[in-house]
Amino acid sequence: MLKLKTVVKLGCVAALASTLMAGAAFADAVKAAPGGTANLVLLPKFLGILPFDQANRGAEEAHKELGNKGTLQYIGPTPENSVAGQIEMLTTATTQKQNVVMLSNNAGDQIAAAAEAAQAAGTKVVTWDSPIPSGKGESVFVAQVDFGSIGVVLADMALSEAGGAGEIAILSATPDAANQNAWIEAMKKALSTDAKYKDLKLVDVVYGDDQSEKSYNAALALVDKHKDLKVIVAPTTVGIAAASKAMQDEKLCDKVKISGLGLPAEMVSYTMNGCAPEFALWSFVDLGYLTYYTSYLLATGGIKGEIGEEFEAGRMGKFKIEEDPGRKGAKRVLMGPFTVYNKDNVEAASK
Amino acid sequence: MSITRITAFLKTWEGLLAVILAVILALNVALAPEFLSVQNQINLFQLSIEKIIVALVMTFIIISAEIDLSVASVMGLSACLFGVLATGGMPGALAILLCLLMGAAAGAFNAFWIAYLRIPSLVVTLAMLIMFRGLARVLLEDRGLSNFPEWFNALGRDAVIGPLPLALVVFLIMLVILWIVLHRTGFGRQVFVIGNNAEVARYSGVRVARIRTALFIMSGVVAAMAGLFYAARLASVRGDAATGFELDIITMVLLGGVSVFGGRGSMLGVLLSILIVLNLRNGMSLLNITGHIQTGIIGLLLIGSVLVPNLLQDFQARSAKQARKA
Repeated sequence: MLKLKTVVKLGCVAALASTLMAGAAFADAVKAAPGGTANLVLLPKFLGILPFDQANRGAEEAHKELGNKGTLQYIGPTPENSVAGQIEMLTTATTQKQNVVMLSNNAGDQIAAAAEAAQAAGTKVVTWDSPIPSGKGESVFVAQVDFGSIGVVLADMALSEAGGAGEIAILSATPDAANQNAWIEAMKKALSTDAKYKDLKLVDVVYGDDQSEKSYNAALALVDKHKDLKVIVAPTTVGIAAASKAMQDEKLCDKVKISGLGLPAEMVSYTMNGCAPEFALWSFVDLGYLTYYTSYLLATGGIKGEIGEEFEAGRMGKFKIEEDPGRKGAKRVLMGPFTVYNKDNVEAASK
Repeated sequence: MSITRITAFLKTWEGLLAVILAVILALNVALAPEFLSVQNQINLFQLSIEKIIVALVMTFIIISAEIDLSVASVMGLSACLFGVLATGGMPGALAILLCLLMGAAAGAFNAFWIAYLRIPSLVVTLAMLIMFRGLARVLLEDRGLSNFPEWFNALGRDAVIGPLPLALVVFLIMLVILWIVLHRTGFGRQVFVIGNNAEVARYSGVRVARIRTALFIMSGVVAAMAGLFYAARLASVRGDAATGFELDIITMVLLGGVSVFGGRGSMLGVLLSILIVLNLRNGMSLLNITGHIQTGIIGLLLIGSVLVPNLLQDFQARSAKQARKA
């Protein structure tokens, strides 16, 4: 536990230091000119879960702040119809000649053709939360955190909850969620390369499709299947809450701990009762805010979306477009950092 | 058309659908400025093209008093099979042929149980829905496949005649041919006869098993073809491709006035119903109505479409009764 905290603290210091250093280099960062006209669409994976609503809150905050004369739409498909629905909504937005669609992609590369058609017709596609894996049709990806470092944090939390050794399993969202897949890969890489994880054994990866009931059942199935399972890592807010509830309902919290990425408001009771002692997350409000600024600047010509461009995103400070280390040829804006929650800080954050 | 014929038409199911469609079209034109653009009209069909192609054949199946629940799984399996073969280095044309053959085999397999062993199609095709989906998942597991040949992706994207992409051209050709087959040929008449009463049909010399076999093979091949269009349009596939499409397809056919008990229905009704569902969805999307509400409104339309004719019938029967009493 201590070790992890130190790592995170060091990480935060490093992130702060690099921001400061970068700040010096950001001398000529572009500032958004308020009062422009940009018609923007915020298109989450689907509607009805808290993180996406929070992202919308951030986007609305930026929308007001910039006095955009255009419109900000928040539309999304139903969870069961996520892939076809996202493709349909992106296509419709293109027909409507919207300036930018801000997409948290749930369709893998299946949406690439529609995104390329959108770009060809003049509608830019800025991804956030979850990118287009191939980068095709995507202007830039606003990354919540460095996908590699998320893998390390997931591995570290699993290590401390497992008490240094034992079997762990992953409960993810959908099999095609580009963000979760990238984090799982990064976590596997950390597990296999760093000797401190040598006694952790990843025994299974299962999917709850970001639906509560399915995730709940998947968590119980994991426990049934792997008798010595010690930790379930759920890198999705729906999965972690459902898995925690499953362990709590079945009184398994002494045996199997839950970790991963969760919302403090949804996790506070499970953290306090010991079912999910530790989890991590970043601010979705900030992510929506930064995505909005990036999109507004692209739509109003402040930035072109090229590597090396620097811009100011209101209250959040300065950012830079860089190559995405996880996806060859794709570009990203890195938000970072994230917070690790435990019983010391979760109550304050959940309010 | 004389006035009386028009009013007679409006009292039919197709007439009611035509009125609903006219209202939806008028609302779309009035409220969504982009609605009439050529690109939007193409997109409107293209976004559901695989479903409406399969719906044409489903019309035959349901009129014959059967059902094919396995179509979406065959679509998914065909798309996945193509993905595996094409990315594995097989020439695209050969992969396409194999997928269509797989569709024919799947249809024949369905038909064997239904037409010769007389097991209800609801049970058989439900089992096949699960089995074919399982095969698709076995093929791809949790992977997604893309990087198909460029000409294949272009088939799903580029216009071939004027602004029309290939799948839409195929749909229109199929619509004309199947319309004629259903309403103007002996085969079509036999489908209706079987749907009304298979026993009577058998005694009057209709080769029931043969026609059922032909219908299910047709359904399998067309579903496989639709799966290929789906793969081309999205330029990638995964194991859950086309999941759940069978319900949308059957919904369109039933809303079109095809009786779920067989023996009744028309291509005109199904075409109107397809246009209603597509235009309603498109209009709601253009007005930025979100997914949950879209689903709800289409659900309401369907409930209404089942209830209204029943209530009307009931009402007519009652008033006739009262008229007799008086």
